[in-house]
Amino acid sequence: MKPRFNSALTAALAAALLLIGSTTLFGYNVRLSQIDPSRLLLTQNVRLYVSVTDDRGEPVEGLGAESFTIFESPDGQDFRRIEGLSEFKPRGASAEGITFLLLIDNSGSMYDTPAGQPTEDTGRMRITHAKNAVRTFLGSMTQPKDTVGLVSYNTSYTLLAPPSGDKAQVAGFLEGIERPDSEQAYTELYAALTLAVEDFTGFGGRKAVVILSDGENYPYFEHSGKTHPEFGEKIYRYTEPIRACQEAGISVYAVNFAAQRDPNLEAIAVETGGTVFDARNQEELARVYQRIHQQVAGEYLIGYRATMTPAERKYVRVQVRENGQSQQATRFYFSSTVFGLPLERLSALLVIPFVLAFVLLWLISLLKFEKKRGPATLEVLKTRVGRAQTRVMPLGTAKTVIGGSRNADLTIVGNPSVKEQHATVIYDSKKKAYTVVGSGDLTVNNRPVKTKVLEPGDVIDVGGATIVFDDGEV
Amino acid sequence: MSTGLRRVILLCLGILGGVAAWPLTELIVRAQGRFPSYLLFVAALGGAVGLLMGAFFGSAAGIFARVGSRILAGMIVGAIVGLIGGVIGLLIGQAVLFLLGGLFLDSYRSFQTVGLPIARAVGWAFLGIFVGAAEGFRAASGKKIGIGLIGGLIGGLIGGAALEYSRLYLPPSLPSRLIGLVVLGLAIALFYGIIERSMAFGTLRVLNGRLKGKEFILNEGRIRIGRARRNQITLEPYDNLADRQVQIRFRRGEALLTNLEPKFPVLVNDQPVKEHRLKYDDVLKVGSAKLFYSYD
Repeated sequence: MKPRFNSALTAALAAALLLIGSTTLFGYNVRLSQIDPSRLLLTQNVRLYVSVTDDRGEPVEGLGAESFTIFESPDGQDFRRIEGLSEFKPRGASAEGITFLLLIDNSGSMYDTPAGQPTEDTGRMRITHAKNAVRTFLGSMTQPKDTVGLVSYNTSYTLLAPPSGDKAQVAGFLEGIERPDSEQAYTELYAALTLAVEDFTGFGGRKAVVILSDGENYPYFEHSGKTHPEFGEKIYRYTEPIRACQEAGISVYAVNFAAQRDPNLEAIAVETGGTVFDARNQEELARVYQRIHQQVAGEYLIGYRATMTPAERKYVRVQVRENGQSQQATRFYFSSTVFGLPLERLSALLVIPFVLAFVLLWLISLLKFEKKRGPATLEVLKTRVGRAQTRVMPLGTAKTVIGGSRNADLTIVGNPSVKEQHATVIYDSKKKAYTVVGSGDLTVNNRPVKTKVLEPGDVIDVGGATIVFDDGEV
Repeated sequence: MSTGLRRVILLCLGILGGVAAWPLTELIVRAQGRFPSYLLFVAALGGAVGLLMGAFFGSAAGIFARVGSRILAGMIVGAIVGLIGGVIGLLIGQAVLFLLGGLFLDSYRSFQTVGLPIARAVGWAFLGIFVGAAEGFRAASGKKIGIGLIGGLIGGLIGGAALEYSRLYLPPSLPSRLIGLVVLGLAIALFYGIIERSMAFGTLRVLNGRLKGKEFILNEGRIRIGRARRNQITLEPYDNLADRQVQIRFRRGEALLTNLEPKFPVLVNDQPVKEHRLKYDDVLKVGSAKLFYSYD
């Protein structure tokens, strides 16, 4: 469902314009392909991996430390120049793997021949060439640390396989890609490239999108006049994937399957540090993977001492000056601390809670938790069966009955082994002593008794109810 | 002091520890730009929080025992151990925060509402673990280290998330760091209060006299009872007992009581004993004090 450029003249003119545009717009490109702040806490150092490429995507080598200047900013606006580099190493690539996301165009025109003619012969369709190209790419992946994922896009963006080391899984999903219906046959190229950034979630290190496409961005809303089910009336501009990919350090490599390519595809690829390949050249296609690794190997490793300005993320800008020309790239790294950002203003009143806390601690330390003299009591600590209706029972001068009866002074309900009047505590006013007398099974201090003169702190057990006697003296 | 009152006091100490640590953290956070490195900045911050929380939790044993000198000694030792714990905890927490934050930052989705709070909560959890465990180190008790560790972990997770969400969803005038620190202190205290009992070997409850109702939680492998204040269980207001009268050792699930001073008899269930294997619900008589050994 895309316009087909049948005129060879138009195609040649467009290609010529594109060529002129690329040479005048792009001298070389600087990409901060990775920021490594893993040594920040221990050594205060941040390492940058900087890729400098020419307009053909070839690494620019042989630059010296004096060509690079680093700036840091807490807000992305106010940049402070970093004096001196702590580390500089040309070809200083780290051993980390690369995360690839392959975006395969599944729009209607991918089911035409490479020349743009409709066909029912599957073998001649662009999609078949694209699938072969993906297989070639997967077959050329030799580094075990590299991971790859697969996305198909047309009107919609569909993540078929998130990046993993399982290349067979990606190949499997490739077979499941089927011809879309007419509503799904549009080409949301810029949207797909922008959304792809989010599927690198959680992947550090270097990241690359390899997009296999047969032509122009052909948005649904613009060409069908209907609201897009996901994007509504939003039409993605080609600058959006450039910005999103640059911020996330992702380079875009495009593999073109038609005589015509999207007019902005090369800008997207080159400005993100990638390049465009022609699918008709099978040899070149097979070298895509090696080319990306070659580019990584040509990166500059730059270390510097980070600033201490509070910020949740710090923006790093690397500026490369060469032959009077200057190019720069900006990315950020996470720099938040456990306690977060400072208050805008500090008040002297903060001393109040500090002092108050110590004053309150002192007051707590003065509290006396000792018991004062009181009446003699029976206190139920716990019951194994049933429950006591009273927890603390002051003892009168006469007798106090403990039992299951409602008329008992201390009633234990719901325990059949407790007799109606199971035990009685009798007060002898002459001796000023309390005696417990049992009519049922009774223990005091875990010893069976019939009767016992009670001492303060004696533990009486009545049918599993633990009752403490206290004379109230201190 | 009953268990309930003990818990309330622990909670108060947790809150006060958080409140005391707050102004100092604000000062240090404010001075971030003056520190030469993240290492020193984070160490200072962790040390300050650990020192103050350690001091407040360290006072607990002295407050419960009602011994002024022990409050001060506990605070000093608690502060030192807390300082070390705070430095180690926050350095690990910051390292984890940098790592997780960097990972979550790679995603554009929900960084502010999910990624950052998770990363910060995990960072705080490490601070909590070390500050919480510091009290256990102070008391040289493996069980207390375990209790503090769990309390600190949970408190740190909630505290860190509270800090982040209070900043996101509450008015900016509310001091989110204070909320986080108080939640951290509260959670550590809550776990001491609740788990302390369930992780303990049991309790000894005083049944008579001036300390009636006071419950001693037995969470150390060796407990000594006597009149002197250096014992874990001080029975100062009681008669007929030595400065150090009884020792209870907990080994392989058994509690062995030894009478250390034969001059004064020690009774278990009204029988004089020299050595005795305690079982729950035993009634001990040490001097004029009676104690109930239980587990519930």
